[in-house]
Amino acid sequence: MAANFWTSSHCKQLLDPEDVELVPAADRERGIMPEEFRLVKIHMSFHIWRLAQQVKVRQRVIATAVTYFRRVYTRKSMSEYDPRLVAPTCLYLASKVEESTVQARLLVFYIKKMCGSDDKYRFEIKDILEMEMKLLEALDYYLVVFHPYRPLLQLLQDAGITDLTQFAWGLVNDTYKMDLILIYPPYMIALACIYIASALKDKDTTSWFEELRVDMNIVKNISMEILDFYDTYKIDPQRGLPDDKISPVLNKLPAKS
Amino acid sequence: MGDGRAGGANRPAWLQQYELVGKIGEGTYGLVFLARLKPAHPAPGRRGPPIAIKKFKQSKEGDGVSPTAIREIMLLREINHENVVKLVNVHINHADMSLYLAFDYAEHDLYEIIRHHREKLNAPINPYTVKSLLWQLLNGLNYLHSNWIIHRDLKPSNILVMGEGEEHGIIKIADFGLARIYQAPLKALCDNGVVVTIWYRAPELLLGAKHYTSAVDMWAVGCIFAELLTLKPLFQGVEAKNTPNPFQLDQLDKIFKVLGHPTVEKWPTLANLPWWQNDQQHIQGHKYENPGLHNIVHLPQKSPAFDLLSKMLEYDPRKRITAAQALEHEYFRMDPLPGRNALLPSQPGEKIVQYPVRPVDTTTDFEGTTSLQPTQAPSGNAAQGQSVSRSMPRQMPQQPMVGMPRVAAGTNMAAFNAASQAGIAGLNPGNIPMQRGAGGQSHPHQLRRKADQGMMQNPGYPQQKRRF
Repeated sequence: MAANFWTSSHCKQLLDPEDVELVPAADRERGIMPEEFRLVKIHMSFHIWRLAQQVKVRQRVIATAVTYFRRVYTRKSMSEYDPRLVAPTCLYLASKVEESTVQARLLVFYIKKMCGSDDKYRFEIKDILEMEMKLLEALDYYLVVFHPYRPLLQLLQDAGITDLTQFAWGLVNDTYKMDLILIYPPYMIALACIYIASALKDKDTTSWFEELRVDMNIVKNISMEILDFYDTYKIDPQRGLPDDKISPVLNKLPAKS
Repeated sequence: MGDGRAGGANRPAWLQQYELVGKIGEGTYGLVFLARLKPAHPAPGRRGPPIAIKKFKQSKEGDGVSPTAIREIMLLREINHENVVKLVNVHINHADMSLYLAFDYAEHDLYEIIRHHREKLNAPINPYTVKSLLWQLLNGLNYLHSNWIIHRDLKPSNILVMGEGEEHGIIKIADFGLARIYQAPLKALCDNGVVVTIWYRAPELLLGAKHYTSAVDMWAVGCIFAELLTLKPLFQGVEAKNTPNPFQLDQLDKIFKVLGHPTVEKWPTLANLPWWQNDQQHIQGHKYENPGLHNIVHLPQKSPAFDLLSKMLEYDPRKRITAAQALEHEYFRMDPLPGRNALLPSQPGEKIVQYPVRPVDTTTDFEGTTSLQPTQAPSGNAAQGQSVSRSMPRQMPQQPMVGMPRVAAGTNMAAFNAASQAGIAGLNPGNIPMQRGAGGQSHPHQLRRKADQGMMQNPGYPQQKRRF
């Protein structure tokens, strides 16, 4: 249902971590390793985010776009669905779903502006529109996505630590560089971000968490994953992954036809 | 869902699972077709269920899948309720970039039911049917609202009623092309254009409200309730077209005449509404004192039915009755009690009303191209061609017609009617021949609707495009 996470298609589609990390057969054949598969998804999440800054859409639209992007690659291969085209198309579709439509020609314009030198990122309006339909199919027409942002604000209010809002919000943004949104209910991701934020900012939320009656093991696991992620990648929040890390992987994908 | 890979030149594989019957509707978004799902294990006499297939054109050059289609898919893929239309499949034809939504087919809608009573029967809809239709409409709406969905375009033609069969007489709220989740709108709801056909548009919208609520749907339900009782739209304002703003003075005037003038005392937030502030002269100038709603709907002012209606037509959206509250209203606890099949006669022995079936244009294929039928209608008159093919089941043997290469209307229609006969046979076997006959007879009139529209007897009843 549209407003109840527990009856939503999003909830029914949550996956086990192993299924999310599985490299599609076609990509494995091209020599793409699980770690490289993850790198492309991180890189493309940045790509979507940067493109979104240009066309000025809200965080929620970006989050939905990245969720679509990650969901697609639990079903389709990067060899068949070029991530460099899927990424902007996810943003295009998400902008429609979230009622703040961005025109395809505008996306094409900004992609050219951003990646002008790299031919492999350049696509025409027609390419995006064709991919939009393929995405709808790949997503099995399930378009409603829930995000941690709303529960985050409610929970921070409830815990009386709204001064952590900005920090925790930033953490939630960063979780979209990972596949957490495909695996855990959004409010659990929000809780993990609050857990990290309160630990780093020396806020004692122990008793508040105890009263929540949620499985703290899951909250702690998600928190560990997030901290691990920061530790492993040490990504420049503005630039994303360095080119020498990502180019060799993308070069394994078939060239644009 | 659908597999969009083409099975041949321009012919997607998914198309094979349907037998096209013909075109049943047309709107700004595209076309609606009636088809039958081919049974998994074909056998003589076995037919799959009827399916309505809505084909979306690309909205504009370079705009991709229309936002209307996206809204419908996104909402209907999440929701599931007996009184909401069921999206059974989505298909894509990559070759021409068209999108198809397949729904359970509903034979009737409130627009046609009301019209049948007004123009053919000259008799009101029986109280049991009115109450059952209203209850089911509220039941579906309560489900939507409790899931934070506002329909925004409720009107009789969007409220479908199932024909003979397992779900006979059950309401299905349809057309979610304007529906929105209102939990967290990114933009003010009024941003994507003015919504709701003006006759059913709530006064706060007419006065320019920026943030509106599920109460707009309840206003529309009130208008529909009155229309079910009187067979006439309650507030038939003349739409001011081509104006840059959504201000509809005539529609407001029609409402004020019947319900009396709203006052800031009764509706405190009225003072904040843009048009109320800006247009003192016109809106605040007139003063209609005597509310005459009960005279129009012919209900005693103290009756529960009137009480419910006036609570739906409450000016202040915050005081307007909600769907959940309305379902608990006394009206629904008195005889006749509402039922699952709204189209049953209210008393045993009473004659069942036989509503006409939807006209089907069997000359149009999925591409929307019309095949002229040289053997039938040399003039190319669609209506004429229709009634011929419609009457075929009783005249034609089960052979595809010569000269109709695309649609084997003969076989399809025969099977179609045979199946629906089987449906009613269980209910009232004695009446079958009469019923089919009546249905067939009323049909040509219905087909002439398009041509007649300009010169209809009731000039106040404007042309209304079927929106399916």
